[in-house]
Amino acid sequence: MTRASMVLVGGGQASAVAARTLRRQGYDGRVVVVGDERHRPYQRPPLSKEFLTAGDESALELLPEAWAEENDIQVRTGVRALKISAADGAVLLDDGTTVGADAVLLATGSRPRRLPMLDGEGVHYLRTRDDAVALREALVPGARVVLVGGGFIGGEVASAAHELGARVTMLEAGPVPLAQAVGAELGAAYVRIPRAAGVDVRVDIMVEGLRREGGRIVVTTSRGDVPADVVVVGVGAVPNVDIAVDSGIDVGSGPGGGILVDELCRTSMDRVFAAGDVARHLHRGVGEHVRVEHFDHASRHGATASRNMLGESVAYEESHWFWSDQFGHNLQYVGHAGREDRLVVRGDLEGDQWTAFFVGEGRVTAAFALDAGEDIAVARELISARTTLPDEVLVDRDADLFEACEEWL
Amino acid sequence: MTQWHDVAKVRDLELRKKTAVTVEGTTIALFWIKGTVYALADTCIHEQRQLSKGAILFGKVVCPGHQWKFDPATGEAEGQGRCAPVFPVRVSEDGIVSVSLDRAGVTA
Repeated sequence: MTRASMVLVGGGQASAVAARTLRRQGYDGRVVVVGDERHRPYQRPPLSKEFLTAGDESALELLPEAWAEENDIQVRTGVRALKISAADGAVLLDDGTTVGADAVLLATGSRPRRLPMLDGEGVHYLRTRDDAVALREALVPGARVVLVGGGFIGGEVASAAHELGARVTMLEAGPVPLAQAVGAELGAAYVRIPRAAGVDVRVDIMVEGLRREGGRIVVTTSRGDVPADVVVVGVGAVPNVDIAVDSGIDVGSGPGGGILVDELCRTSMDRVFAAGDVARHLHRGVGEHVRVEHFDHASRHGATASRNMLGESVAYEESHWFWSDQFGHNLQYVGHAGREDRLVVRGDLEGDQWTAFFVGEGRVTAAFALDAGEDIAVARELISARTTLPDEVLVDRDADLFEACEEWL
Repeated sequence: MTQWHDVAKVRDLELRKKTAVTVEGTTIALFWIKGTVYALADTCIHEQRQLSKGAILFGKVVCPGHQWKFDPATGEAEGQGRCAPVFPVRVSEDGIVSVSLDRAGVTA
């Protein structure tokens, strides 16, 4: 009899956590992690933060060699999984070999959305460790760094570039950065941070392309030319769904797409699961399918998927949460705000510490905080419990939200 | 023999719920949770934030930096497969909280 086997496709956070969880749950069959990068699985959050400035490689490893060996986890790097056989679940790799599997996890992640007119030397997209090393080499004192896109990654790169002594310009298509993620009011509160540090944040500006003058880049925009030595494009990500499409597994429509999974992380193919960035997952709290590109989500989703691969029936119901460290500040967001939700603000949005709760239909749906992570812990509990605290408690900085939350729930 | 260090009054801790103390260069976060005092290394094992600035929710300590949730008794970080160091705590009859840096007696 052949040994039982689990194949985890993708070398990122969701796969790594799934591998660890399989062993922690006592699974003693084969575990194979297949990643198409040349590196062993590593953490991505530091790539736009401390890794850019300090270059500390030691903290990145997710499945260190010694640990993997001890736990009998086989990590295959530099190889891409192409297709899953519907007949027997075997996974075909691009080196021509096939790996047998009793269950497969698709955790292929996402890749940066590329703008065709922004490419070539001096233009950076940030996703992989190699991307981060290349960018770090370009972030030298005095360099003119132009960020296309004012999202969280853009803000973090701006912070790192600023710290390294570069001159930073951020180009944002909308009226304020982060408007899509947190709304215009909180985007306006956020933008004070990069501006206070000296970043030139320009809004309502459409990037048209670039031209090269000698060794220099000129970014052309709806509001004129912007000279640059380094251009960093951060305009969202696209899920890596090729293997699902080629295997006949259902994916969502549109560019946001993603592999469709239910609350148990199951795809449309028997014994095939998906987790992390790539998975458009049904989420009870949100009330629909969503695709989420957060580190914490990838960890928890990967863990849930692996338990279901072992035959459990664990619904994924965690609140989606992420953080961003930039310019010496810590930003955190949890949940999914509805369009009609109202804001209940604890603290002063012009101050240096605040929490904004999104409240709709008698419950907290989301919260965004500047240097107030402890409030996010409370928000997370309220979101899970589908409730809220009275507004006057939420806004009262003298009120102990932890106690109020425990008493209320 | 375990060496104990007096670090706080239980009455103060009961009011503030959490505080940070330093013993021989080690910063320890103290928590008062439902009548019991717990001591964990103050520096979060994840990204060096201070646990003593975190939240105490439903008996768990939540780090403000990245929402890691710790069991105050064992130091186990929920879902992370890692543990924060915990220290032995003693509360005397007259309400003095003492901790020991000797972790040998801790089973976590």
